[in-house]
Amino acid sequence: MSDGKPSSTRRAFLQAIPAITAGLALPTSARAAPGKHHWAMLVDIRRCIGCQACTMACIMENAVPENSFRTIVSTYVVQQLTAGRTTAGTYMLPRLCNHCEDPACVPVCPVGATFKRDDGIVVVDGDRCVGCAYCVQACPYDARFINHATNKADKCTFCAHRVDAGLLPACVETCVGGARIFGDLNDPQGTLRRSLNAAKKNGDAIKVLKPEAGTRPNVFYIGLDDRFRGRVEGQAALWHPTSHGA
Amino acid sequence: MNPNIVEVVNVSREVAWLPWAVQYFFLIGLSVGAFLLSLTWYVLRWPAWKRVSRIALLGALTCGMTAPVALLSDLHQPGRFLNFYLYPNLDSWMAWGAFFIPLYLGGLVLYSWLALRPDLKRLANAGGRGAAVYRRLAYGGHDSLGAIRAATVFALGAAALVALYTGMEVMVVSARPLWNTPFLPVQFFLTAVAGAIGLVLVLDRGVGDGTAAMDAPLLRLLAAIQVLVLALGAAWLLLGMSGLSPRHAEALAQVAPSMAWRITAVWAAGSALATLWLAVRRPQWRLAAGLIALHSAWMMRWTVFIGGQGIPKTSAGYYSYTLPLGHEGLLGIVGTAGLWIAILILLISVLPWGGERRAGA
Repeated sequence: MSDGKPSSTRRAFLQAIPAITAGLALPTSARAAPGKHHWAMLVDIRRCIGCQACTMACIMENAVPENSFRTIVSTYVVQQLTAGRTTAGTYMLPRLCNHCEDPACVPVCPVGATFKRDDGIVVVDGDRCVGCAYCVQACPYDARFINHATNKADKCTFCAHRVDAGLLPACVETCVGGARIFGDLNDPQGTLRRSLNAAKKNGDAIKVLKPEAGTRPNVFYIGLDDRFRGRVEGQAALWHPTSHGA
Repeated sequence: MNPNIVEVVNVSREVAWLPWAVQYFFLIGLSVGAFLLSLTWYVLRWPAWKRVSRIALLGALTCGMTAPVALLSDLHQPGRFLNFYLYPNLDSWMAWGAFFIPLYLGGLVLYSWLALRPDLKRLANAGGRGAAVYRRLAYGGHDSLGAIRAATVFALGAAALVALYTGMEVMVVSARPLWNTPFLPVQFFLTAVAGAIGLVLVLDRGVGDGTAAMDAPLLRLLAAIQVLVLALGAAWLLLGMSGLSPRHAEALAQVAPSMAWRITAVWAAGSALATLWLAVRRPQWRLAAGLIALHSAWMMRWTVFIGGQGIPKTSAGYYSYTLPLGHEGLLGIVGTAGLWIAILILLISVLPWGGERRAGA
């Protein structure tokens, strides 16, 4: 913990689990400046059970107002024909800010309140933010919103305050299935890099959401069905948050 | 839509650019359009356009003064506007807008003052309690065409920048395919000019004698712009349907499955056709043509902003929107309209807009 890196407890746990992925889009460490952290996340969708513990942990950790979410596990019921029978299953997709290499939210901010830290985390300077919501419009992932308590832009920060203190993001810490793997892309011995390498070795695809947006996300997925990479073509959500108080 | 996928849990993002933004884009567009119309007499000295020009100047001023208030309101805390000047990020079109707006308004006020000096002098000469103030404001009361033209160059440049930035600011948002088409800035501009003509027709009925459009070929101009609006809309649709432009095709694919969007499109096209028909065939119904043109300009912005934000970037289906009654919804719209009326009353109380006959009265 004193070396400024997140706890290795979960990493050790994950390390013991056989890796079953292989990379088509495996990021290389050359993407980050050498000698610096380059924080990123790998989400193994196959391990997600849709419990929303991450959603709740994020809300509690970051005091996210009611009806707003920095992360959520999108949940879908999918019907398909298998061996002549129609079967239904549940598909979970944890969503959060992708902390993109080329974030669409940064150049549009009229006051430079949104910026990318040297370690790759995209954050909002709340003192400078004017609440114009231009970044909310620009984000291709609907990851941003206007916080009704502050009336300023809000989003996932990878729990930067925790990471800076050597802890894991709250969502990672609480993930029941170990679906969220957080770490430093620049650390060849770190859990994240080893998980990515293992995935590559095992031939499982590592994907990102909306690659065509050109933002180069730093949240990677294993087990991401192509039908869910972009805007999902399906029936609309059955649940919507209630409107916030005026 | 794939019926085999049902989204059961996902976030439903709220509208982040509120109706205040619709009001701003509507009003600043009307102001720029009306300013352009006002040039016909004050700068170009086309005699037939004299009364139109006068009413248009009133429209440009009232809308121009109201628009930034709506924009500030969308920041939730108006004092935050200072950060636009303290920490400008010049990669952002919005940051440039913070400089273009005062530039335009400054140019507009200067141009208006120079254009109205003879009227101010006339009011000063008429005597009364305000004569001294009018005399001071008239500053000699000369109709100095050279000075007006110099101010026009400045104001016209700033107006062009405002028209450019308001279009580009929205167009560059590639995350929203509906906004991310090169047609959008042109569509904003054309509907703004059509709305400005509508505003002149409406104001002329209330402030003037309702016949300004009979002198100038204002209705013909309105008809021509409606033809352009319809042509542009048809081109947008054709590019989307044919797949010649992937951007248009993507935009069309997002809205085409929705009955509400299809009705909106038919409504917009029908409104433009109705305006065109009234302008060409029923000049005596010019007030109706003006009201419909105004409605079309507002509706276009409402559809783009509020409707556009109802298209999820990742979720299935569409987000639902209900207009809140408070300051983030109806009250904001009514409040902006109220401010516009207050400024209108103020300006018609202190200056003559109905023509020289009224000015001399």
